[in-house]
Amino acid sequence: MHVIPQLLASTILLGGVYALIAVGLTLIFGVMRVVNFAHGEFLMLGMYLAFWAFTLLGLDPYVTLVLGLPLIFGGGWLSYRLVMRPVIHASHNVQVFTTVGLSIALQALALVLWSADSQFVRTSYYAVVVRFGGMALNLAQIAAFVVAVLFTAALFAFMRWSYTGKVMRATAQDRHAASLMGIDTGRVFALTWAVGITCVGAAGVLLAPIYPVYPSVGLQFVLIAYVAVVLGGLGDMVGALIASLVVAFVEVVGSYVIGTAWKEVLYLLLFIAILVIRPAGLFGQRGAEVIGT
Amino acid sequence: MRGTWPAVAFFAAAALGPIVVRDAFLLDGLILILLWGASAAAWNVAGGYAGQLSLGHAAFFGLGAYSAALLGTRWGVSPWIGLLVGAGLATAFGFILGFLSNRLRGPYFGLATIAFSQVLLIVASRWRGFTSGSEGIPVPFRPGLWTLGMADKRVWVYLVLLLAALLYLVQLYLERSRRGYQLAAVREDEDAALSLGVPARRLKVAAIAVSAALTAVCGTLWAQYVGFVDPFYVFSVDLSVRFCLAAILGGIGTPLGPFLGAALITILETSLRARFGGIGAGLVGIYLIIYGVVLIVTMRFAPQGLLSWFGEHLRRRPLLGTAP
Repeated sequence: MHVIPQLLASTILLGGVYALIAVGLTLIFGVMRVVNFAHGEFLMLGMYLAFWAFTLLGLDPYVTLVLGLPLIFGGGWLSYRLVMRPVIHASHNVQVFTTVGLSIALQALALVLWSADSQFVRTSYYAVVVRFGGMALNLAQIAAFVVAVLFTAALFAFMRWSYTGKVMRATAQDRHAASLMGIDTGRVFALTWAVGITCVGAAGVLLAPIYPVYPSVGLQFVLIAYVAVVLGGLGDMVGALIASLVVAFVEVVGSYVIGTAWKEVLYLLLFIAILVIRPAGLFGQRGAEVIGT
Repeated sequence: MRGTWPAVAFFAAAALGPIVVRDAFLLDGLILILLWGASAAAWNVAGGYAGQLSLGHAAFFGLGAYSAALLGTRWGVSPWIGLLVGAGLATAFGFILGFLSNRLRGPYFGLATIAFSQVLLIVASRWRGFTSGSEGIPVPFRPGLWTLGMADKRVWVYLVLLLAALLYLVQLYLERSRRGYQLAAVREDEDAALSLGVPARRLKVAAIAVSAALTAVCGTLWAQYVGFVDPFYVFSVDLSVRFCLAAILGGIGTPLGPFLGAALITILETSLRARFGGIGAGLVGIYLIIYGVVLIVTMRFAPQGLLSWFGEHLRRRPLLGTAP
């Protein structure tokens, strides 16, 4: 039986990509205290970017990833300037509904530009399967995993060792103290938002060769990211990383045991269960969710 | 804008509508305005008055729509009974959500409600044997008031007007009664309200359960009027957002706001659909873009909604001869 190593390998491959989506979401929450309900839409835009580059310019998604990063970052920055900056000091509810509005507008934009049909990025290698020690793994999935891990590692290194990363962490810990120390929190928020969007947009480009893309595709992935982010503790990047693997494990084992049709129910129930039992997440401090700051 | 005269004028205009207008298209618009207004008002009971911003109220709407449609098509039960069953189920689920709201605040509660409506969406769209799965359920037309098969749209106008008026009164009660004041205290500062002896948790749970039941009633009537239940529509996040959007646009936590917002949105939507619908389905997306932008702009400039925005800007202008 090669079932167990196969399931584990699938878990790790899937978890790596989920982690990249979740890390961006949790970064934005941690620093800005905003739950980005438009996160999935930026994933969708990343997928469509890969789709357009592939069909119009004949660019391979991995080339698009490298060339498109500044574009995604710029798009994130722009969306911050136009949409988020005016409400950055407003109440939670105002922020929530602002990102919900952004989500609706972006989804509808995709509907107008690309129609509601599922589109595919059919690379020449999309069906290539790598066999390794009794496991059969899709090449595009392996590539997505490797790039996602590199990306996440780079983000962690950036947050840990770079001066800008330290400034961002300082703002996350106490934004008032940070601004008293001369940190321009407005710029930190803009940068955080753009970096978070870049992560999820890059994840979108990586997912394009694996999954079909349609305007509301973001929801299915962002729900997973919500589960991972809450499980890991909102704002906790390491927590999000580990939780992504947990969620991927639930999904992979669930699909194997009860079939793919019902696997979403599993992680959504897991989500509700976490919210009821331990809303602060696996590693978060108890009570953080009640303060709601 | 304090009194009830704008509401009286609104409902009176709606009641006069079928007498003045015979055009089926306009009457259809009026029915939808009242139905969406009632749904948004039902959301407002939890979202506006109790401050529990749900992003999953479509779950209750869908429960109402499915209860009546399934009971009707499978066992020939009257949609009125289905309406009660739907409201009962929604109340039960509302209690669960209310329990969650006591543990979760702010964005956590919103996330939980989304997950909740998604679970119901998956169950409705995958449980083929019972719900017909993703194909949805056509509601058969059986003439008579008991089976809600009214060919005359004017009857529908008065039926949903009754529902809308009921929801307005529920909100007015929350605006003016002792319970309503207590609920407002809980919304503004739960800990302070608790220390004053307000039964904060019970009030919140009750508000959410009532809101859920009323949303289910709207769902039942909507499904019976439209004649079709599609799981991907009635349980969608888009629909949940539609309720919030109407209430927020008009004025969150005000009794007339949801109706005003629903009127604006419905008029915008139907006119844009009528204009672009024939050319290409893709252009239907344009009204959704406008939707999203309207929500962002409202949050930016009038987070308390248009009612209070107008109120403020009208009041600021001094009346003739009174200003110093």
